[in-house]
Amino acid sequence: MAQPDVLSQAFELGFTYTRSTGPVVGRFLTGLRDRRIFGIRASDGRVIVPPMEYDPATAEALDEFVEVGQQGEIVSWCWVKQPRASHPMDTAFAWAMIRLDGADVPMIHCVTAAAEEDLATGARVQVVWAAETRGYITDIRCFELIGE
Amino acid sequence: MAKLAAVVGIGQTHYKTRRGDVSIAGLVREAAVNALEDAGLGWDDIEAVIIGKAPDMFEGVIMPEIYLTDALGCNGKPMLRVHTAGSVGGSTALVAASHVQSGMFKRVLTVTFEKQSESNAMWALSTPQPFSVHLNAGAGGYFAPIIREYMRRSGAPYDVGIKVAVKDRLHGARNPLAHLQLPEITMKEVEDSMMLWDPIRFLEACPSSDGACAMVICSEDLVAESPKPPAWIRGVAMRSEPTMYAGREEVSPQAGRDCAADVYRQAGITDPRRDLDCAEVYVPFSWYEPMWLENLGFAPEGEGWKLTMSGATSLDEGGDIPWNCSGGVLSSNPIGASGMIRFAEAARQVRGDAGAHQVEGARLALGHAYGGGAQFFAMWVVGADKP
Repeated sequence: MAQPDVLSQAFELGFTYTRSTGPVVGRFLTGLRDRRIFGIRASDGRVIVPPMEYDPATAEALDEFVEVGQQGEIVSWCWVKQPRASHPMDTAFAWAMIRLDGADVPMIHCVTAAAEEDLATGARVQVVWAAETRGYITDIRCFELIGE
Repeated sequence: MAKLAAVVGIGQTHYKTRRGDVSIAGLVREAAVNALEDAGLGWDDIEAVIIGKAPDMFEGVIMPEIYLTDALGCNGKPMLRVHTAGSVGGSTALVAASHVQSGMFKRVLTVTFEKQSESNAMWALSTPQPFSVHLNAGAGGYFAPIIREYMRRSGAPYDVGIKVAVKDRLHGARNPLAHLQLPEITMKEVEDSMMLWDPIRFLEACPSSDGACAMVICSEDLVAESPKPPAWIRGVAMRSEPTMYAGREEVSPQAGRDCAADVYRQAGITDPRRDLDCAEVYVPFSWYEPMWLENLGFAPEGEGWKLTMSGATSLDEGGDIPWNCSGGVLSSNPIGASGMIRFAEAARQVRGDAGAHQVEGARLALGHAYGGGAQFFAMWVVGADKP
């Protein structure tokens, strides 16, 4: 008896959605549009960037915004030697944890550098803003080493 | 043997078309804070959080519970997500209740939500599959043929659904939290509204709402620490069955009948119409009132519509067994929360805390939710009296 054809078919499933950011994340994003970076003060006094809506320890709502610096230092990084199409840079770059001046926790963003050897924990970096800022995290184009 | 548990706090948001002012976290937070305030408690008093919502694809946030721990004060505490489609609000309440009834937890916060304005619930509900014709049906398209079969079997007049649509909106007009506020609605207006899925007209279908509902459930020994009267949990039951199988009774699913029988037995109910003072039952499409009246034993088979038409389920007509005094799913439908709203509104009634939609002297109430292809059922009976 002949084997039956076993059929398979790829299919795509997609939907459109909306997302409201709320008063805290919304403030952070509109800050980026104005080329300013806001964190929020937690119950233990730490300044958290990007800001959180609720305190990680006490669960209380947080609302004390603190503007932080546009320079900071690298806490840790991971070098991307061969960027792929969906990466934010088209030449080699680093994903990095960057502690901005005035912040107590690092945030993740990308850092441009000529070579991996230029990066170090404690190396100073500064924001490079996108040509047009719209209230997206990508308004920060990347960070670059200071004095490079 | 289950330990006694009671609802000591209830919190809801206003149900609205769109809550663009808050994130999902901000929405669930609002209901949770309201429930804690109602219970006179703080975050530290809560030992575990049980959360529920409709499937992830509705809002496109995968496992939203993970990002909601801060908002719900459950860092360092157990958190559990319940998934049972549209009945999830009810089953989430029951999972929370069982945490306390087991004796393992003293106080549990339970929260459910949906932000339909940011979601795609209609089409995420009926996804196309390879090798199949895509029905593009949505929930109404799925249930409409089942309703037509009910009409054929029972010989119910065409306007039973219209009557329910009016009745629940008049109830909703008494409830300031209800999404639809239609105090002037008429039978003619419903009848003239667009036919969506024959025989379900636009005004015979539930709205799409944003909102959240929360409850605090605690053990017997802690009930007195909260200021308002408790709603004692007198019976809890869940049942499920497959969406389709040969010979499935889709008009009056066996799982629904079994679930009701179980919860009535626990609560000592032999005649639900006589023994209960009111019920909050999941009626997203008008005709599901007469269908569930029969499935839940409030009327003999084929006669549920007679109760509806007689006004027995209407608060405004002084009915003996008012259904959905809050306005029901037909007035507010944040899907994941809709079942819990039924459970919470039943509890509000027996706490004597239902405001303008209070059934006078309510002592015993049923909360009901169903989901999927009417295949998941969750029910509880709550009472003013400690069993």
